[in-house]
Order: sequence, then structure tokens, then C-alpha cells
Amino acid sequence: MAGIFIFSEDPQLAQQLLTPALALKAASAQPLVALTACAETAQKLASLGADRVVVLKAASTTPEALAPAIAELLAKAQASVVLVGSTSSGRHLAAHLAAALKAGMTTDAKALAMVDGRLETQRILYAGLAVCDEVVALPAVATIPQRTFLPPGPAAQAGTVETLEVQADARVVVQSRTPVESEGVDITAAIKLVSVGRGFGKKEDLSLARDLAGALKAEIACTRGVAEDEHWLPIERYIGISGQTVKPELYLAVGLSGQVQHMVGCRESKVIVAVNKDEQAPIFEAADYGIVGDLYQVLPLLTVALKS
Amino acid sequence: MPKLLVCYKWVLNEQDIKIRPEDLSLDSSRAKGKISDFDRNAIEEASLIVEQQGGTVDALSYGTPAVKLSVKDALSRGPNRLLWVGDPGADDADALVIANVLAAAIRKAGPYDLILCGEGSSDMFYQQTPARLAALLGLPCVTFVSKMTLDGAVLKATRKLGECTEEVSVTGPAVVSVLSEINKPRIPSLKQVLGAAKKPSEELPIASLGLTPDELQPKAVRKSPKGFLMNRKNVVFKESDAAANVAKLVAALAAEGLR
Amino acid sequence: MSILLTEEQQLIGQSARDFAKEYLEPMVVEMDHTGQYPAAVVKQLAAQDFLGLFLAGEYGGAEAGYVSLVEVVENLSRVAPAVASIMVNHALAAYAIQRWGSPEQKKNCLPKLASGEVLGAFAVFEHGPTPGVGAGALMATKLPEGWALKGTKAFVRNAGAAGAYVVLACTDPAAGAKSLAAFIVNAKASGLTVGAPYETMGLKGCPMADLAFDNVMVADTAILGGSTDGSAIMTETLALASLAEAAQTVGIGQAAVEHAAAYSKTRIQFGRPIASLQAIQTLLAEVAADCHLARLGLRYAAQLMDDGQPFLVEAAMVKQALARYGAKMLIDTVQVEGGFGYSEFMPLPRLFRDITGTTLLEAPADYPEKTIAAALLA
Repeated sequence: MAGIFIFSEDPQLAQQLLTPALALKAASAQPLVALTACAETAQKLASLGADRVVVLKAASTTPEALAPAIAELLAKAQASVVLVGSTSSGRHLAAHLAAALKAGMTTDAKALAMVDGRLETQRILYAGLAVCDEVVALPAVATIPQRTFLPPGPAAQAGTVETLEVQADARVVVQSRTPVESEGVDITAAIKLVSVGRGFGKKEDLSLARDLAGALKAEIACTRGVAEDEHWLPIERYIGISGQTVKPELYLAVGLSGQVQHMVGCRESKVIVAVNKDEQAPIFEAADYGIVGDLYQVLPLLTVALKS
Repeated sequence: MPKLLVCYKWVLNEQDIKIRPEDLSLDSSRAKGKISDFDRNAIEEASLIVEQQGGTVDALSYGTPAVKLSVKDALSRGPNRLLWVGDPGADDADALVIANVLAAAIRKAGPYDLILCGEGSSDMFYQQTPARLAALLGLPCVTFVSKMTLDGAVLKATRKLGECTEEVSVTGPAVVSVLSEINKPRIPSLKQVLGAAKKPSEELPIASLGLTPDELQPKAVRKSPKGFLMNRKNVVFKESDAAANVAKLVAALAAEGLR
Repeated sequence: MSILLTEEQQLIGQSARDFAKEYLEPMVVEMDHTGQYPAAVVKQLAAQDFLGLFLAGEYGGAEAGYVSLVEVVENLSRVAPAVASIMVNHALAAYAIQRWGSPEQKKNCLPKLASGEVLGAFAVFEHGPTPGVGAGALMATKLPEGWALKGTKAFVRNAGAAGAYVVLACTDPAAGAKSLAAFIVNAKASGLTVGAPYETMGLKGCPMADLAFDNVMVADTAILGGSTDGSAIMTETLALASLAEAAQTVGIGQAAVEHAAAYSKTRIQFGRPIASLQAIQTLLAEVAADCHLARLGLRYAAQLMDDGQPFLVEAAMVKQALARYGAKMLIDTVQVEGGFGYSEFMPLPRLFRDITGTTLLEAPADYPEKTIAAALLA
């Protein structure tokens, strides 16, 4: 078996994958090979620790279209571990690879390590209720979400970069791709977040939260209801099991009840603060600090106090 | 007239699972079974297609023998026939085993024009089964579908991926995984519930699927899960004077270095 | 016979719970404030086959039986008892017609009731002590062309929303209550007026009003059963009403005890959750046990109905028990929740007002005891 392989169509995520891959490389004394469809990032990956970077060229280079070609490459190389960045496409690709390699796969590993010739990983179950260890025999596949790891520092020696022409899977025809309208804000990068729920009566009232966020130098995030049902904020700002996962220093939850499906997206925040008028709301159990009170009263007072 | 297959999983309702405070182990003793949430969307989508344009829907499930409890529930939601594979080993199965079993069952009962799955199961949420299934069956795979139409052999679908939306088309049999936003699963009416008993259901014994022991061996072995308990300070300021509460919170934030 | 639910009955109960969560939860508070009849929700009840629940398939019914009926009624009542009341009172009219109707009557009426095209209502009571007695009693006078109905029916639920009323009238003033007959009356009949709706304590959204009959002419074919069957129709249909209302009461009690239990776990006093206090546990335990036992009692009676067996005494027993401790279930759970239990932004005050309606209506409080005693002392 030879090779710790990584792939992500997202350049940032690809760099982050190098960190766990380097640890696996050290533990198993195997080469680290980065696969990419993006020639621009190849050099970066080579300089950050990949021994080899293979730039894949094909008629279509979406992860889905490259799946059979990558599977063949991995099988030939007898890859031992394959790490794929967890985007929707990445998870699709990874599962295909796992089937082709007859490999076990951990989806969205929070942690991973090579132990006794097996990949040990950790992931979430039951919609956030539990965490579980998985022991995966080699060859093993794992997907890794954004921001689970930081990218490594520059390597002592840069790896090689090569290009490989492959056959794309043309059975599914992409008629069009429309980028999701984005404000360009990445709330997963925010150090502080003010998160709003449906305790706010109407869209205009969110200005109270924005003022507070300004005083804190925080970004605004929200619950699924605010984004998907009320459409007060764009979907990219919603946090929860099917939304974003964040790990800020401060997560200030205002007018949201704190259900598991939401909290699973923010529960690794360093400090969680809650403002809610319902003393029974589950958020208080999940918070370090909380104020029981009417947000319409509390927020202006808090904003002023923080500004002074 | 299309012949559709929809895969579903009979799972424990995660809301009924409790965490034992002594050792954080999970207590599922009071958890009732349910059809996994996203699988309901898949069943609904398949049923809507044949209700609109004719055809048939087979529902397929692999689980422990308890999966038999799901038969009438699934059949009350639109499918014409139900196939189930019951095996005590299913509780330990990983996505590799699940996909192997489902693929073998599909090879036996098929071929199908379209195979539908949910995005992932509500208990394990592997999100692997659809793409694995497609790879094993040599079929194209369209995942994360929020909208789809089937016109003869041509499937047109909208995929919602994080950063973009794709419109795709594929001709011929394919495997599709659907998102919860694709539809609202019906609440079965009384007639639909009572009609379920009249629909055929059949067990496909696991021994009849021709799988090798290796194919039934999980490669990703789960160790016992531990409940996630929030361990927070739980300091709550609840005086009647909002200003007093605010002052205390600001002091706490300052102490945490977060002002 | 088994009092355990069959698979189908369990699925039906689950559908009712899902329905209540999806369609009733979002509207119940508003409906309670405005008292407005929830026409849209009633259409959705029809789409689920709830309005033709026990009616025969040949009339478009679901033939789901009476155990299913009480399962559905209980589960809807955990969220919106007023909506369950609309369904129950409709069911009474449907039951009477299916049970005593001629083939033509069934063919003409039942499909429309099953589909929800027509909402039914059952008009029994009057302002006097018993139907057929007193000044405003509804009298039916035989004329060559049919019957003339004159008088008033009181506290008729679904009045105004209903398209068809099954009405108890006295055919012989001298015989009084002994000569009651039931008539199917079209809501649009000339001379029939629906009075101003009562503003009730609870179950708001289920309309209640008097019906005034000013020489309303109905054909001979409008009489349900025989001209002296009215008493039997009243007795048996009110027994079904007792059962259905018991299911409502149990549903309300169950919702209340679950809410109070959850509350008691989070309410901290003297440094610990009040759930740890003996007094609280006693209150909750009694309500939970009362609900459980009542549920079994009403399921037993419903199963008798499904088996075609007499059920009047068993229905009376459940009614009698709940008349005594039904409201207590809400008194106790409000007590557990203290100040919150008394606050209208919480569900218990509304459930309190609703449960007093489900335990006292459709039969005077001593009526079930007479039935039980009569059977015991026969």
C-alpha cells in the first residue's frame, strides 16, 4: 500500500487537508500525494508538504466527473488513505472512491489518526446528540469539513508537480452552474458572531442585532428559520446541522431557543452567551452566560455598555 | 411507464434517545422506530412521479428483522410494493455493507429506470449510500437534488451544492439522492394507511443475495457512541433590572477577554 | 378482543399527531383568540379522510373503525381540542345517518359528509330540562306534505358552519320525551335560523349557537329511522359523543401533563428543579395515571363498537370518571406550573378552558351514572 492521497476542489480546503495528511504520512512513512484539478493551487500544495501534486486535466473537472478516473488512479497506486474535502461534491466523490476501492469511509471526521495500521476517526451521530469513534481498515477514505484543520506551514522541501490527462465521466451532463448569490461574507471565519433567531418580531428589528454586532466587531449569523422560512438573512449565514458550523471565540445567541439542530453548528464556540425572554429555553443550558430578558430592552443597553 | 426503486432506512427516533449522565452512554430503550426523515422525501418524490405519469415504485430497505415494522408505514406513503432484507448484523453495518446489500437486492429485483435515496440517514448521516450504490451498479449518480423531472428516459435535476446550483441531465437509469427541500412528504390519509395491508411485500433473505462474507464485513467499525453534553458555565443573569443584567454580562465578557 | 392498537391504528395515530403538529400547532393560539371557525383546517381534515373516518367505503368513507376515531380525536385534542370538537360533532351526525338511515338517505347524505363537502351537526338539547319538554321545545307536527318543525334547539355545536343537521324533535306533545324522532334537516331550509354564536369559555373555533325553527317544512323522507326511534338515536349517539369527548379530555390531559412535566424539569427553585419535589411528582403522577386508565377505558368501549357489541354502559363509565376528574387534571397541572401555568402565553390556561367544555357538554353530569346504575340494578 502506498500513499496518503488528498483531494479538494476548494483550494483553501485542499491546503487544510495537508495537515492531517502530513500527520498520517509521518505515522505511516508513506508519500503524500495531492490530487487537484486546479493548476493554480498545485505549486502551493507542493510547497506546503505534498511530495507529489498531480494536476488532473479532463473535459470536465468537477469532482463527480473525475470520480472514475481518480478511483482508477488510487487503485493503481494502492492508496492507503484518501482524504477528501467535505463539500457536497467532495462527499459524492469520496463515496464513489470508497465503493471502487472496497474501502470503509468516515464522513466528516472531526479527528483522525493512524493507529496500529488502521485509521481511527471521530464523527457526530444522531443529529448532533452523540460522537462516535470509527476504526477504519486500510484502504480508508475520509471526508474532512472546512476549518477542522489549519493549513500547515511551508515544507522544508517543495514536492513535484505533474499533469495527468484523464477521462471524465460524461454520463451526467451539466447544463448550467449558477453561483449562489453571496455577500462574500464567510461567517465561519468570524471571531465573534451575533446570532439571531425568531425572537425578533420582524426583519427591520435585526438592526438591533447589527448595532450590537458593530459594537462587538462581530458578524451576524442566524437560525434556519430566520434564513429559510423568514428569508430575513441569506442562507449562507445560517448555522445548524444543515447549515454552517462555526467555532468563534464568542457566540452571542439572541432570541433563539437553542435546539440541538442549531446548537450542533456552534457548540464548539469558546464562549456562548444567550439573551432570551424565556427562562426555560434550552439555550441557557448550552450557554456560559445568559440574560433572561426582553431582547428589545437588553440589546440597546448592551450595545451602549460595550461601546463605552 | 417508469419502474422506480426507492431505498429507505428504518431508524431509531433520535429525539427519544437519552444520554446516561454516569458514563455518557446512549439509552435507546424508549426510542421508537421511524422511516429516516430524508428517505421520506425520496419515497414521496418517487410516489409523486408515478402518480403523475404512471409506473411503479418498489420500496427497498435493509435492516435488522425489526425492519418488518416499517412495511405498512412505507406502503402507506405511496409505493406499490415493498422489498425488505432483514439481518441481525445490520446494526453493525457500515455504508460499505449497506450499499453491497442494497446493490445485490437491486440486481435481484431490478432492473429499475431510476433509483432514489435520501441525502443521508437521520441516525448515522453517512451520505455515502447513493454514490456507493451507483458505483457498484455502474450507474451515473446525481446527488443533492432539490428538484427533478423524469421525461421518458431523461432525468433533469437541480443540484444544490454549497457554493452553486447545477442544472444537470442524464439519460438512462441513474441513482439520485434528494434533499429535504424537494417536497413535503404526505401525512398518510386513513385510506392510504388502511390500503397498505393490501399491497404486496416480500422478504429477500440475505442468504439469497449471493454476498460473500467479506462483502458483509464492515470496514469502518463504530465504537460505542458517547452522548455529547454541553459543559458550560450556565451563569444566568435574571434580575428584573435589565441594566443590571447587562452590566454583569459586560463584566463577564471583559473577564473572558472578549469585550 | 384486544385493547392494544393494531399496526394500522398506530400509524393512524401517528398521522393524527403529524397532522396536529403541521396544521394545528400554527393556528391554535390565534383561533383561540379570535374564535374564528377554521375553514381551511377543516378542509385539511377532509383530505386526511378524518371526516369520513368510520363511514363505509361505498359512501367514500375510510372504514377505519371507532378505535381509530378515538385515536385521532385524542391526538388532535393534544394540540387543538376545538378542531377535534368540530370533527366529533360532525361525526355524530354521520353516525346517526349511517346507523339509522334508509339506503336513500345514506346515499344522499353520507358521501357529502365523508368528503367534507357538507359539515354535519347533531342538535339534541334545548333550553328546557329535556328534549320535548318546555316552552321552546322543538315540536314536529305531521302534515300531509311532511313535517313542520317549530321550536328551538340550544347549544348546537357546528351550528352555522354545518350544511346538514340531525335534529331531535318531539312528535307528540302529550307523550313528551317518549315520542322523539330524528330528522335530517338541510341548513338552507326555509324558516331555519342560526342564532348568534355563543362566546364560549373554551373550545373556541368550534361554533355553538341556538337553532330556531319557524315552521321549517321537511319531507317524510327526512325522518331518520322510525317516528319513535328518536330516543334510541339520542341515547346511542350521545354515548358515542361521550366516548369522543372522553378522547378529547384524555388528549388535553395528556398534553397538559407532558407540558407540566417538561416545565418542572427546568424550573429551578430552592436550588433544584421542582420536578424533584414530592408534591410535584404526586400531582404529575396522578394526572398521568388518570389519562392512561381513561384511555384504556375508552379504547375498550371503542373496541366494543368495532366488534358490533353494545357499548352504552362502558361509554358511560368513561364519561362518568372523566366528568369527575377531567378538570382536575388541568387544575393540577396549572398548579405545577404556578405563575406560568396561569399565564395566557402558555398553553395550559387555554387547555383548562377547553377541558371544562369536553367534560360537561353533550350530557348532563348525572346521565352516565343513571346508565351504569340501570345496567347494574337490572
